[in-house]
Amino acid sequence: MSSEQDHLKETDTEARFDFKKEESSAFQTDKGLTEETVRVISEDKDEPEWMLNRRLRALKQFQKMPMPTDWPGQPDLSEVDIAEIVPYIRPDVDVRAGVDDWTELPDEIKDTFDKLGIPEAEKNALSGVGAQYESEVVYQNMQERWEEKGVIFMNMDKAVQEHPDIVREYFMTKCVPPSDNKFAALHGAVWSGGSFVYVPEDVTVEMPVQAYFRMNSEGMGQFEHTLIVAEDGAEVHYIEGCSAPKYSAFNLHSGGVEVFVGEDAHVQYSTVQNWSKNTYNLNTKRAIVEAGGRMEWISGSMGSKATMLYPSTVLKGPGASDNHITIAFAGEGQNIDTGAKVYHNAPNTKSTIESKSISKDGGRTNYRGLVHIADGASDSSTSVECDALMFDNESTSDTMPYMEINESKVDVAHEATVGKIGDEDVFYLQSRGLDDDDAKQMIVSGFIEPITEELPIEYAVELNRLVELEMEGSLG
Amino acid sequence: MSGAQLPANLSAETVREISEQREEPEWLLEARLDALDALETLDLPDVIQTPGRRWTNLEALDFETLVDPLEQVDETERTADEGVEVLTFTEALDAHPDVVESAFGSTIDPQENYLTALSAALFTTGTVVYVPEGVDAEDVTIRAEMNSRSLFSHTLVVTEESASVTILESIESGADVEGSRYFSNLVEIDAGENSYVQYGSLQNLNEDTYSYSLKRADVGTYATVNWIEGNLGSRLTRSDVESELNGDAAETKIVGAFFGHDDQHFDVNARVWHNAEHTTADLVTRGVLDDEARSVYEGVQDVGRDAWDTNSYQRENTLMLSDESEADASPKLIIQNHDTEASHSATVGQVDQEDLFYMISRSIPPQRARNMLVEGFFVPVLEEIEVEEFRDDLEALIAARLQ
Repeated sequence: MSSEQDHLKETDTEARFDFKKEESSAFQTDKGLTEETVRVISEDKDEPEWMLNRRLRALKQFQKMPMPTDWPGQPDLSEVDIAEIVPYIRPDVDVRAGVDDWTELPDEIKDTFDKLGIPEAEKNALSGVGAQYESEVVYQNMQERWEEKGVIFMNMDKAVQEHPDIVREYFMTKCVPPSDNKFAALHGAVWSGGSFVYVPEDVTVEMPVQAYFRMNSEGMGQFEHTLIVAEDGAEVHYIEGCSAPKYSAFNLHSGGVEVFVGEDAHVQYSTVQNWSKNTYNLNTKRAIVEAGGRMEWISGSMGSKATMLYPSTVLKGPGASDNHITIAFAGEGQNIDTGAKVYHNAPNTKSTIESKSISKDGGRTNYRGLVHIADGASDSSTSVECDALMFDNESTSDTMPYMEINESKVDVAHEATVGKIGDEDVFYLQSRGLDDDDAKQMIVSGFIEPITEELPIEYAVELNRLVELEMEGSLG
Repeated sequence: MSGAQLPANLSAETVREISEQREEPEWLLEARLDALDALETLDLPDVIQTPGRRWTNLEALDFETLVDPLEQVDETERTADEGVEVLTFTEALDAHPDVVESAFGSTIDPQENYLTALSAALFTTGTVVYVPEGVDAEDVTIRAEMNSRSLFSHTLVVTEESASVTILESIESGADVEGSRYFSNLVEIDAGENSYVQYGSLQNLNEDTYSYSLKRADVGTYATVNWIEGNLGSRLTRSDVESELNGDAAETKIVGAFFGHDDQHFDVNARVWHNAEHTTADLVTRGVLDDEARSVYEGVQDVGRDAWDTNSYQRENTLMLSDESEADASPKLIIQNHDTEASHSATVGQVDQEDLFYMISRSIPPQRARNMLVEGFFVPVLEEIEVEEFRDDLEALIAARLQ
């Protein structure tokens, strides 16, 4: 391991995420959600009429739809009262659309991202970086060589102004309509910030682009929207990181992600989520994949009080493929309900889903997934593998897959296992001189390795560090 | 059903009449009347829903036309070894009033859902298998024929300490009845300490019949209850087979087979609750679908907080013979104790093309080769059956369906 990674390992990860900054904002809405709130947000952003209308339509949907309460074993959302949420906070920065130089940011905000290690990562491993603070993107930059090739990586609000044609066509229309679920509707009404990524035909963006989302204020809701359009033959890896300090009141994060994967294009979307344990993380993420295209979702859910997240892929063209890798870690008081959805709508499509979960100290993890193979999607295959590790009998580990198979010429396999850490494995490691805690940490690191090896090394180290942090001092 | 009206042909009078004809004790009449009352507030059994899809539509059952409570006719043959009593429900009320009273409703609450309540209020046939301490009974057979528009049945199996019994229960359609029909069967097993029950069930009703069955066992310390559930007939079947492992070291196997054709719909479910220490469960379901048949499967392995040292396995395999068929499956694990070894797997696919190719290359005609592979597919289920007659019947029905 290089000295840089050692350095990362030695930093106090908890302190790095849990620090709070004074809440200072240029503008914020009142708590709650009315038509007035939506108009105020849209006006503050100086949006075109069509976007305001979309927001208002989404608001109507939101008001019509009931809270989801009838999913078997779902997290308790009764505390999530939209009337108590501040949906929009514009931080106090001079440049609205996000500066491209960290030093132009107010010290408070710059310091936040320094502590999170974002500028450092940008130098070493990324093609571009966006950083969102509260409701707005405050920093956005991409290496020039990608700009020259026509790659666009900009904040979503700016894209509404500068690329209205593309945004109008793709924004919450054919991929995630507001009517999809109550929180997608909420998102559609009050969304703010997020990223717009456009990769032209046959362009490969070699290093990942990254967006980091930070909530600092108590009782706020963050609703960033990410739209990725990869034209035919394009390739891009997008990484999303999230964190917030812990408050006593709840925070709500309800992001929306839409990905369009063109013919033979390849998009990888990686998330390492480390929201504070008062955050409800209720996202809608979906990709539509054309012929020969490939979508990969890599998700690490470590934080939040409750997460409901099921990245979805619609395999629309023949030969399209999908890969889901999911890891969930639920400690005390956490309910991580996550999984995957794949619709096979064309022949020769392929999906693989790999889910790993760890629950301890009364935490609950659930894999909830759906694989649907439509009539006519012949010669398709899907393989689902769920493995769960449990540490005690206060925790819960559920696995709830659903399979709907309308086509006979298919290969469908689902497998799941649940168990505890093997005593023999621990004994072996102890016999090699490790103490009990280290042995268990090592086993857990090995357990999640299929995920970490998909991430750039900085993130892999970070994820391992987070897992270690969760495990420290409470191993039984 | 919550909000729905009671069918006009159901009333307290009807229930009293059924109970009086059978000279039933007061407690049973009360239980029936309570179940009838509860219909107004009870819901249909849960059905799996995914975005935009409901896997089975029980709402469409029109009990007004399906149920004719006072005209229930069945012809049931019951045979058994000496030493074990296999009685009609009415006979058992006389011979073992206490056993029946304590077992009835002890594992299935009559008011669990709309369909169980309807069944408890209206059942006119049923069987009680009572195996006293230490008695071993083999090959108990209960063969029923349904000769009316609707038939409601209630079966109790009680095994005392160290008793054992193997049972085959079969249901088929007798006399022709114009139009749609409804069959309902509740089976409760109370397996005492160190006792053993294998309960085999074969449903081959005609394809105008809608059928509902809920079978549940309360498995005591060191006891084993093995279920074998065969479904071939009916227009729509909802079948739930469940074991509650309530005693330490209790065991269960739930083995199921179904073979659907035309536009048959099978909603088959296997569930186990591990509520005690050192318990073991193995759930195996194999199904074949032809034509436009559709299957829906839910398997649940629920491991409780106190279920230390649990072993729990589940496998579900569906073979699709036709492009028009549909197979939906949801194998679920709900684990609350880490001292558990649990796994499940599910597959859906066609007959293995390589196997088929090999057999054809050995000059077996393609149709015959396919049929042999389908018959072979059911072997893991057939092997579990201990009542020979049952195995022969199931094999014959599978072979007949392949013709």
